[in-house]
Amino acid sequence: MHSILAVDDSASMRQMVAFTLKSAGYNVVEAVDGQDAWEKSSSRDFDLVLTDQNMPRMDGISLTKKLRDNPKFKATPILILTTESSDQMKQAGRSAGATGWLVKPFDPAKLLDVIKKVVR
Amino acid sequence: MDDAPAPLDAGHMPLPTAADLQDNLMSATNDLDRLQTLLADACETLMQRFYGASEQVRSLRDATSAANADVDPEEIFQGVLQHLGGAVTALQFQDMACQLIDHTNRRLRNCADTLARETFGQDEEGATVVTPAPLRPNPVTQSEMDAGSVDLF
Repeated sequence: MHSILAVDDSASMRQMVAFTLKSAGYNVVEAVDGQDAWEKSSSRDFDLVLTDQNMPRMDGISLTKKLRDNPKFKATPILILTTESSDQMKQAGRSAGATGWLVKPFDPAKLLDVIKKVVR
Repeated sequence: MDDAPAPLDAGHMPLPTAADLQDNLMSATNDLDRLQTLLADACETLMQRFYGASEQVRSLRDATSAANADVDPEEIFQGVLQHLGGAVTALQFQDMACQLIDHTNRRLRNCADTLARETFGQDEEGATVVTPAPLRPNPVTQSEMDAGSVDLF
């Protein structure tokens, strides 16, 4: 069973992401912001990281940079799921090493399709 | 160093007007706080209902497939899942509404604090602390709940 780290400071978004992913058979670990995700990622591996961008303590792009600096997460798909839709922000995500940029609100079926494509 | 400006004289803004304005702004921020709580509560309740509904549908599929060969339970099941998926997309209004409210709240709080500082100067407790206004425009630009774009790099 693939394991996914879902990061969002919004409890309702975490619930909806977890609902969607668990219904499709994924194992989901939730983190409340980038810092929490960073701490959780130090103790275990994940097959994919799905993170919000705007969060307290550490945002999604900073988390992506930190994970990419860690050899353990060099090849792990990282998707940023955010309300931000500007090209400038997308470019910043790409430069940080993100695998993809998804603009909220997400469609559960499309999200699962994207995850299927990027998770090996 | 005390850099708080001196209070304005009455010709610029009468004190009762300023006080009223400040009251209104503070009321608006309190109302926005309440709205945020209500939205969070509504969303949590809805999610519990969706979990329950999806479990019921799974049970129904199992029961139907065993008892009635005329219906295609898989088709029904996929239709229900599609509807639930649309509901999950729509439910994300709570996250967006909360971001909008939080942003507006910080702007209003900045207005209220600035007004207080400009009007009343400092009291025996010192200068009014002004909450910083958000530095960037609100990140939520969506005005409807259609699913957003997907870019794979």
